[in-house]
Amino acid sequence: MTVKPRTTSERVIQELRVLSNGLDPRAEDVLSEIKSTLGIGGVISLKMVRVYRLQGITETEVKNLADNLLSEALSNHYVINRQILNDADKKTEVSYRPGVMNPEAASILKAAKDLGIGSLEAVDSSWEYHFYGTPSDKDIDAILDRLLRNKTVEIVLKESPKTLTIKGKSPASKSVPILELSDSELEQLSKDGQFFLNLEEMKVIQEYYRSIKREPTDVELETLAQTWSEHCGHKTFKAKLIVDGKEKTPLIKRLMQATKKYDENVISAFVDNAGVMRLSDGWGFSGKVETHNSPSAIEPYGGAATGSGGVFRDIIGTGQGAKVIVSTDMFCFAPPDLSDGELPPGCLHPRYLLRRVVAGVRDYGNRMGIPTNNGSIHFHEDFKAKPSVIVGAYGLIPEERAQKGVPKKGDLIIAMGGRTGRDGIHGATFSSGEMTADTISVNSSAVQIGNAIEEKRTTDAILAARDAGLIRAITDCGAGGFSSAVGEMGEEAGVLINLEKAPLKYPGLAPWEIWISESQERMVVAIDPKDEREFFAICGKLNVEASVIGSFTGKKNLTVMYENDVVCDLPMSFLHDGLPQRVMQASWKQPSFAKAKMPVISDWEETYQRVMGDYNVCSKEPIVRLYDHGVQGTSNLPPFTGVDSDAPNNSSVVTPFLDKHIGAVVGHGLNPVLNKIDPYWGSVWAATEALSNVVAVGADYRKLGLIDNFIWPFPDEDSLGALDMSLDACIAVSDTFKIPFVSGKDSLSSTYRYPDETVLKIPPVLCVSAFGPIEDARKTVSSDFKSHDSVLALIGKLDVGALGGSIFVETKAYGGRLPKVDLEGLPALFQALHAGITSGDILACHDISEGGMAATLAEMSFGGGVGVDISLDSFGDVHPEEVLFSETAGCFIVELASESVAAKHFAGVPCAIIGTTTKDQSISVSQGGKNIFSVASQHLKSAWQQPMKEIFH
Amino acid sequence: MPNLASVCILRTDGTNCDEELAFAFSLAGAKPDYVHVNQLRSGEKKLSDYQILGIPGGFSYGDDVASGKILAVELLSFLKQQISSFVAAKKPVIGICNGFQVLVRTGLLPLSRLGDMHATLTNNDSGHFECRWIELTPTSNHCIFTKGMEGTKLSLPIAHGEGKFHADNDTFKKIKEQNLTTLQYTANSKLTQAYPQNPNGSLYAIAGLCDPSGLIFGMMPHPERFVTPYQHPNWRRQMIDKPHGLPIFENAVNYAKTL
Repeated sequence: MTVKPRTTSERVIQELRVLSNGLDPRAEDVLSEIKSTLGIGGVISLKMVRVYRLQGITETEVKNLADNLLSEALSNHYVINRQILNDADKKTEVSYRPGVMNPEAASILKAAKDLGIGSLEAVDSSWEYHFYGTPSDKDIDAILDRLLRNKTVEIVLKESPKTLTIKGKSPASKSVPILELSDSELEQLSKDGQFFLNLEEMKVIQEYYRSIKREPTDVELETLAQTWSEHCGHKTFKAKLIVDGKEKTPLIKRLMQATKKYDENVISAFVDNAGVMRLSDGWGFSGKVETHNSPSAIEPYGGAATGSGGVFRDIIGTGQGAKVIVSTDMFCFAPPDLSDGELPPGCLHPRYLLRRVVAGVRDYGNRMGIPTNNGSIHFHEDFKAKPSVIVGAYGLIPEERAQKGVPKKGDLIIAMGGRTGRDGIHGATFSSGEMTADTISVNSSAVQIGNAIEEKRTTDAILAARDAGLIRAITDCGAGGFSSAVGEMGEEAGVLINLEKAPLKYPGLAPWEIWISESQERMVVAIDPKDEREFFAICGKLNVEASVIGSFTGKKNLTVMYENDVVCDLPMSFLHDGLPQRVMQASWKQPSFAKAKMPVISDWEETYQRVMGDYNVCSKEPIVRLYDHGVQGTSNLPPFTGVDSDAPNNSSVVTPFLDKHIGAVVGHGLNPVLNKIDPYWGSVWAATEALSNVVAVGADYRKLGLIDNFIWPFPDEDSLGALDMSLDACIAVSDTFKIPFVSGKDSLSSTYRYPDETVLKIPPVLCVSAFGPIEDARKTVSSDFKSHDSVLALIGKLDVGALGGSIFVETKAYGGRLPKVDLEGLPALFQALHAGITSGDILACHDISEGGMAATLAEMSFGGGVGVDISLDSFGDVHPEEVLFSETAGCFIVELASESVAAKHFAGVPCAIIGTTTKDQSISVSQGGKNIFSVASQHLKSAWQQPMKEIFH
Repeated sequence: MPNLASVCILRTDGTNCDEELAFAFSLAGAKPDYVHVNQLRSGEKKLSDYQILGIPGGFSYGDDVASGKILAVELLSFLKQQISSFVAAKKPVIGICNGFQVLVRTGLLPLSRLGDMHATLTNNDSGHFECRWIELTPTSNHCIFTKGMEGTKLSLPIAHGEGKFHADNDTFKKIKEQNLTTLQYTANSKLTQAYPQNPNGSLYAIAGLCDPSGLIFGMMPHPERFVTPYQHPNWRRQMIDKPHGLPIFENAVNYAKTL
């Protein structure tokens, strides 16, 4: 970069401080967190000052910027180059680390230029916190650590920086001597370079370079480490499996074989960034669900935001480009009230994680204008070392543009969207490693900050280019950056890259850094040279930066140049097929859990309230209201409906064409506790729950596609045995319903190692998502009761007494039989439900999941503003809790106008008439003609709404 | 075939409610056209070719610094003349959510003084973004967008983090004298300051305002998200004769026909 010579006075960084005139809601929010979450009473009040540092302009220009852009006299006031508050008892300032992109900076530079202040060369913004009262230094540190700053991306600024521009000269690419290394030296190299490759893999690389008689370059080694990482290479899913001594088909092959059998409604599966199902009228419906556990564990806001950003790009980068129409989020955390002493070293508190992860998903989805309308949150103590952060996205794509693009020889390789910086280096390999107490400090460069607006305008440009027929192939830059995106796209067509052409955020990056950086909001497209001008015209009009960084050569090599040097020359065959197939042993041993003591019910209201107020059952409405679930105008069945719009629905229906009634439905299921007790039946439960959630609103299960996400501990013998069983459960579900899995993701690093080497295995999570078309969205139902005096029926075979892993016996205890889903009977049942809902005879429907029938009935009654009167007589001589709290998936409560409707629709499937809705707003249960309890709905509702209200106030 | 009123749906980086706004205008009988601010700056398109200007919701330029601020600066820097002429020609302007924030930050609302800001929309009292359906009552009798709707009870969604309307006393006096308050948050038809019925703590429960001519209108709620019955969250519970957002667009289109 050339820096214009300047006079000294111009080079000074000018400081502008802006302070709210009145009460600042942001400061009040922080203050209330200090008091309620941290329990620090010494802070009486708090003021937040926005600090802007501006480089290259005069004080007069700063005043101009303040008056016209950075301050508004009605709301705030400002000072230049001095303090705005001098009376605080304690003060601290938090800013981004140098090199971390501050999204606001680009907007300020643009607006300054619009105002005619073109000499502004760099800008940064930060927050000053002024504390009043008697907080100790220790209090301030705790406030910083727990609320205000994430060390991986932010610093406490002790003094003003001397410059805001990062200068540097790119170091040249180096060759790395490996030909003569011993086994232990190879292992050390893998460790030092953060390659996360095992000895066998390092030896394959050594052998290859011995055979071509040269040392590898740093770029080549990095490329191999990225492509061969567990994250990108899915080594475990492709491995030769020996289960209990017998060889079994590799996991990925089993899934794909099942998909092949049931591909009637599949447009694209497992080959592209997302799976695509048939929607209607020549349109496809694509789906992808991703995990961002490792980044979210150390920087929850950025980790979750870029998780969303990444999965949106997967949808955008499928076929020749799709529009994202739905976003989903599924999280697993330790309980927010976990005591500090329970927190493993180097881990962030679950309450902080929860709030920040939600904020990240909120800010990215809302800014992109994508409705976030389906999700769930699960709590279990063993997530204290690492949360599971699962984000999904669904898209609309013309069928004729839905197949993965194939670049042709001569096509240009274009990088578009965000610039490349040092952020996210080694994200792919880092995600593949287990977490330790040091992870948070060592791997900070693997964390990225998102800029949703960059992604939004890039999407606008891609959709315009797609509709103009300009895109031959497209993919996103995700894990592994350019190395993975380009390497994969050019597997057949061969690639020549000129790395110096990639636009950088700041100078000084080494070629290997540019090559594997995981900077956000970047897409790679293949364009026919004849379309270059038109493509760049579209990008220019929409303020999107794009650069030709190479071309497809027709040769079978991945060749990367940096200026005049060849920094990487790898045959595609070695890169993609050189990785030796792993042979892995699997053997699951049934864990012996202490048998849980059955809770004794002395007071039904108290027990019922406890179940409704459990973190795993309670209302998540305060979170859902932070997400814009109505943007795009497509919401047909929103997350919450009912008299007071606070009763949850099973899944979401959108009508992506505003002038048509074609619906698209999305739902999901997971249950970490059941998965931990029994990987097979827990997984059957998860898949059944996913299907039940979409069937309950009226979907035809035969048209659905499924997505699997395995978030599993490191695959040692035992965990791999569990994974094998979980996958078998997926296949069993696929075979039972004759529907395919079309996309999936495995993340096998849910393991934490304490400093003393003790290992904590985080509960295995199989999250299954179900998505598909709804022929007519007007023929769907919500979960809220529509009237009093309706008939209530239980549809499905409830596993009475199967309380293992249920909320009722408390999720920490595992003992007892877990609920087994009656898979065989479900296709007929789902069919009957679909027919019943489509005919309009079913007024409301809600499935049974966490909290059992008790929770289902309560939620339906909250929505209807009516009560419930049921009898347990159809279940025989049982304890009431064995019915009310059994969490058998694949069972439903339906509201019917009369008993004859049940006979009409449910003659051939398990169906029990259990009672009626009542005008009186209480839930009454009787057995043998005797009332067991009556509880006011309102009492249950308060207990159910309280927990999240306390966290999201 | 009569000429349909053409609507400039103004877009820029981070605009995201443009498609539903265009759909609402086409249902109301107009011809919407997506116009990127760059196209107006370059002269490729001209604001004067349109009868209605619609600034949709979203997060223009990420709402960096303050919501709608960067776009407002851009409009004032490059399109002041085009906008002045548009307003002088008595053509209607509507800004929804982020569009409202832009109109306020350009000074067009509430006093129609381009480049001179007299009010602001600032952080919700709750300190966070909020998405929910709320009750509103149109209260002005001279805003062309809400003509004939005075006193009715509307149900519309809000989705914003910076919707609290605030102005100095002098401006509030003018707002009152000239009857510029167009839409207010209500609970059972009574004005409310209570959360969440008044989702942001807006003074005088102001949800929407017009300028003294009644032709420039801004509102935080999203009428374009309720132009078909099935967009209402509880369409399964209640009969909806006419979606509550649609008349706002029909009014604008009917007015434009008289131009």
